[in-house]
Amino acid sequence: MGKLLSTGLALLLCMAAPTAKGGDPVYPAKDIPDSLKKDAHLVRRIDETTIRIIDETEARVIFHYVTTVLDEAGAEDTEVMLFYNKLQDIRSISGALFDAEGRLVKRLKQSDIQDVSGAGGGTLMTDTRIKHHQFNYSVYPYTVEYTVEMRYNSLFFLPSWTPQAGSDCTVELGKLTITAPATYALRYQSYRYNGQPVVTTEKENKIYTWEVKQLPAMKKESYATEFYRRTPSILLCPSDFTMGGFKGNLNTWKDFGKFAWQLNEGRDVLPDAIKSKVATLTQGLSREEKIKALYRYLQQNYRYIDITLGIGGWQTFDAASVAANGYGDCKALTNFMMSMLKEAGIRSNWALVKAGDDEHSFEADFPSPQFNHVILCVPGEKDTTWLECTSNTLPAGYLGNFTDNRPVLLVDAENSKLAHTPVYGISSNEQIRHITATIDSSGNIDINASTFYTGLQQDHLHDRLHSLSREKQLELLRKGLDFGSYDINDYQCKENGTTLPSIEEHIQIKANNYATVTGKRMFVVPNIMTRSGRKLEEEGPRVSELQFEFPYRDIDSASIILPAGYKPESLPQPVTITGKFGHYSASVSLKGNTLTYIRKIEHKDGIFPAADYPELVKFYGAILRSDRSRLVLVKE
Amino acid sequence: MRYTFVMPMTVVGCLFALFTYAQDGSKMKFGKVSKEEFAIQRSEKDTGAHAIVLSEIGSSAFESDGNGLRLIYKVHRRFKIIDPNGYDVATVQVSLNKSEAGEERLQNLKAATYNLENGQIVETKLESENVFNDKQDKSLMVKRFTLPAVKPGSIIEYTFSVTSPFFRHLRSWDFQGKYPRLWSEYSVAIPEYFDYVLIPQGYEEYVVKTKTASRTTFSLRSDASGSMASARSFTVSPQVSTYKWALKDVPPINQESFITTVDNYVNRIEFQLSAYNWPDEPRKPVQSTWPQLMKDLMESEYLGGVLKPNNGFLSDKVEELTKGAKTDADKAKNIYNWVRDNYTCSNYSTMWMDKSLKSVFNSKSGNVAEINMLLVAMLKKANLFATPLLLSTRANGYVYQFYPLYTHFNYLIVGLNLGDEYVKLDASEPLMGFGKLPARCYNGAARMLDEFAEPVILGADSLREQKYTSVILGKIENGMVSGAFAQRPTYLESFGVRAAVKEKSIDEYFKQVTKSYTGEISLENKAIEDLKELESPVMIKYDFKMQMGEGDILYINPLLNEATTRNPFKAMERKFPVEMNAVYDEVFSFNMDIPDGYEVDEIPKPAIANYNENEGQFQYLIQQVDRHIQLRCRVRLTKANFTPEDYPSLREFYDLIVKKEAEQIVLKKKK
Repeated sequence: MGKLLSTGLALLLCMAAPTAKGGDPVYPAKDIPDSLKKDAHLVRRIDETTIRIIDETEARVIFHYVTTVLDEAGAEDTEVMLFYNKLQDIRSISGALFDAEGRLVKRLKQSDIQDVSGAGGGTLMTDTRIKHHQFNYSVYPYTVEYTVEMRYNSLFFLPSWTPQAGSDCTVELGKLTITAPATYALRYQSYRYNGQPVVTTEKENKIYTWEVKQLPAMKKESYATEFYRRTPSILLCPSDFTMGGFKGNLNTWKDFGKFAWQLNEGRDVLPDAIKSKVATLTQGLSREEKIKALYRYLQQNYRYIDITLGIGGWQTFDAASVAANGYGDCKALTNFMMSMLKEAGIRSNWALVKAGDDEHSFEADFPSPQFNHVILCVPGEKDTTWLECTSNTLPAGYLGNFTDNRPVLLVDAENSKLAHTPVYGISSNEQIRHITATIDSSGNIDINASTFYTGLQQDHLHDRLHSLSREKQLELLRKGLDFGSYDINDYQCKENGTTLPSIEEHIQIKANNYATVTGKRMFVVPNIMTRSGRKLEEEGPRVSELQFEFPYRDIDSASIILPAGYKPESLPQPVTITGKFGHYSASVSLKGNTLTYIRKIEHKDGIFPAADYPELVKFYGAILRSDRSRLVLVKE
Repeated sequence: MRYTFVMPMTVVGCLFALFTYAQDGSKMKFGKVSKEEFAIQRSEKDTGAHAIVLSEIGSSAFESDGNGLRLIYKVHRRFKIIDPNGYDVATVQVSLNKSEAGEERLQNLKAATYNLENGQIVETKLESENVFNDKQDKSLMVKRFTLPAVKPGSIIEYTFSVTSPFFRHLRSWDFQGKYPRLWSEYSVAIPEYFDYVLIPQGYEEYVVKTKTASRTTFSLRSDASGSMASARSFTVSPQVSTYKWALKDVPPINQESFITTVDNYVNRIEFQLSAYNWPDEPRKPVQSTWPQLMKDLMESEYLGGVLKPNNGFLSDKVEELTKGAKTDADKAKNIYNWVRDNYTCSNYSTMWMDKSLKSVFNSKSGNVAEINMLLVAMLKKANLFATPLLLSTRANGYVYQFYPLYTHFNYLIVGLNLGDEYVKLDASEPLMGFGKLPARCYNGAARMLDEFAEPVILGADSLREQKYTSVILGKIENGMVSGAFAQRPTYLESFGVRAAVKEKSIDEYFKQVTKSYTGEISLENKAIEDLKELESPVMIKYDFKMQMGEGDILYINPLLNEATTRNPFKAMERKFPVEMNAVYDEVFSFNMDIPDGYEVDEIPKPAIANYNENEGQFQYLIQQVDRHIQLRCRVRLTKANFTPEDYPSLREFYDLIVKKEAEQIVLKKKK
């Protein structure tokens, strides 16, 4: 009996962690080759992701990871976080912790898994919950193993596969296996993966296998392109699928859009009160004015509240509920705005977008769910108007760097297609500053600075003006400017209300000891408020391309009155640099006791080859130094 | 700090209306919103008022649910929304606790938004389908809702009650928050069966502060734990004391720098159950003295109780660690080092054990209480005199000293009596030396978890932080000056250096050092000494070659990168005390031989400044002796806490430091 029992136990253990047989060591840390330890905090010993597509309605996914944590810096990334809801549920989680030699320390107990709500923070309610678990252990290195089985009740959410979890994570072996009915058209796209998957056939199934080995750590590089483009990744996407009873396929953008349209069809019925409101608001106005009037009405009367319930977060609350509650998420507000425009006889489309300040990369030739947000596109004969319906403050037609300059999917019943959001060029993103200042004999300075910001260069200030009280804005100014000790005596901003937004800022500063007085000399940095802080390191061979999201131009001019009785001992030399990344110039001149400083920078956007990095280091280095160069005055 | 409202000049009538309204905040009725309330504007002084609390009235009382007594907490709040940044007040969440003893319930929720449209007040009610139940875990449910039809200018209000079987959960009340409040009122009615201690804090003055006595009749049912037949109804009429507090025109309160936490200064009333006085039974005190509280906590299976058993599973490990150790101090160090190096802390804000000691011991992880309790148990196993110390971290606020309250604690450390020395230990930080504590622990008094419950004072004034820096400048060749830099940072800074090195690497650390210089610089012979000597500060050393310019004149700031370039006290005014986390003393020394071919054109003048006589000193002592220049610069404070009245002079003191530390030595090429 005793014997039987122990066999049973052994069997159970084997099932929980298939690799842990008896007392055999599991992935001892000493087996890791040095090449995978270099610059790494984590080593993924194995990443086996197994996806079985049962039919167009369902898939089973098994994630199996074995990860060695080399040091404390890697430890925090070993937390397992699993989101689940009606469309993807967790069937089982098992795991184990092994010491450096690969001896079992403990197994995951189901009671150690925390199960928390996905709501809170910015989300009022969601039906997604989160399970998470972490083995807290601090004797390095150690190894954790997890096996998670999930059921996907819609292929729409098929996971993508990126075995390298971060730049400091190396991979010993990664393997993605997908089993799908031979008749099912599986769609995939790979990055930095050499070759094609191995495809075999077994009965009526096709099996696709991708495998990577020995992926080294990546260096952290400034201005790098998005991570998924720098490491082997496989994006997956269904052809035919269902979601919450709706059928669709994602073979083309047109199909994708059609599905989104179907899911939300008929949700644009406005209550009579809103219909008459629309009529009142738009009476006698031109088309452009109607759009503006309705958008203003939306901004003033409705607010963004995130409620993610229902079909995968893809079906909107209908227009009537937005009218009743006065709030909605991005879909609900966009849909409501579209409904009002429709009532006013203006056609518009949802535009699905991958939003984010640093998320301009998009796979246009691989139709797949890459989106996380929706805005509204109002096509016009000449100009298309874009509306961000979750903002209470943006001017009609302006998007900002959250959604600018990227492909979006216009959703339509029959004619969905990709479009491109507005590109804001260098002349749209300016910061033009003029300073008049007076320095007294103790080195204190009185500054009057007027700055004109436009386009993407005013986004930050726009947010500040609309989200912070005047006190908070002043507090930030009191903390954030680059002076030793100073007070803000006056601060005014004026928004100009133009379609391309611009803000005029006037600020008066009194800074103590701005100029350093030592005996008979005075040291003055003529660049008072626009000193660049960028300093880059030569990083050895650079791997990633360089990406700059938008171009900009800064022009500074300053006229500084110096105390009488000084003559120059040394003046900074004029600097002019022109290169691949743009142009910089700065010059100082002194006439009587008035110092004139002129500075101009034009920075380009785009993607630049890695080989250009040293030039960027030089460019920024020269700017950094020039911006801090000072003139020395001596008492006559 | 009176709160004044500025009204548009044209609506003079409103001024009076507003005044009466503020007077009558106490008379708010649900659904009765007046047009005058729509005219209320924010004060010009406080543009941060994205919303205004027009009135809030809360109460806690006891009621019978037919069987026994329940606590009933009622709240009614009304807000005026000024702009979209005030929309956050329209989203409400109510936490409801649940245990084996019973659960709290939300009842009588009503909420509505009022908008003024074409001169008419339009009401939009919250629909019950828009109230969400968000289950957090088995003991916590959060009800969430957001009000409909909210826009700038809306008035919103809600009211609800929570019934609770937990008599200890008599809710506290904050009279102050991030938005101004025109009226904030709380009343608490306590039958003579219960004694609660009232714990007030805050700076603003109450306009109502009363206590009245009356009798209330409750229908109860006798304890039904016996047979059904024995349950019978009866009524009692105890005396009930009703306390009431109200504040009018309360200014908002916001976060500041150099402060423990502004939470210490919010107007608040808290309650602690101190005794039961059931009829015909002797008074039953509940933890009414510190020793009594500690006695209970020593019994608790989630705290002191884990020290009671023999904990034999620790014996082998303790023996292994103490074998060969000669003194008690050595034994303690070995045990401390082992726990610190082998356990990961998963939560730095709790005083409770979630797991058994054995499970903590085996799993190599735990929260701060668990790890330090394990340390206590192991030290005890080695026959050392260790005691747990409970404390509240700086961010968690002060501990009320006049009445024992465990709810104020959120951290546990270890006190160890070594005979000639009493050391405090915290094994939860992997880089903390023996006998050292993180700065967050220095927040007044910690309490010993033993039968005497003595306070152990951990004042920021007792944490002395010293820093010493030396720079020696050498030759100048081809416009490059070479030099040697050595620095012993403060202990807390050293902790930061160790953490940075651990997170990245020594190379990466020096990369950041290089980056921190504006000009071109190259570092050589880089070293960080004493990285592993966790009881001492580290020593950072490097030689450098720095670009000096090639002209006939050289300008040198002797403080290089170490100069204080920004006054840490940014704001012009200060309402609260300045609370630094330690007492600082920083010395910088600089030496150079004037390079051949150069002569001094000028050097800064020496200076000494005292702050408030002996509370601080700044020295800038510079001299030239033959061809040698020497500087000793020292910034020293003698205490950590300063009053709001000290603030302007403290700011000036630092202005002087910033100015002086920017000054330059000027060398000229000999003709």
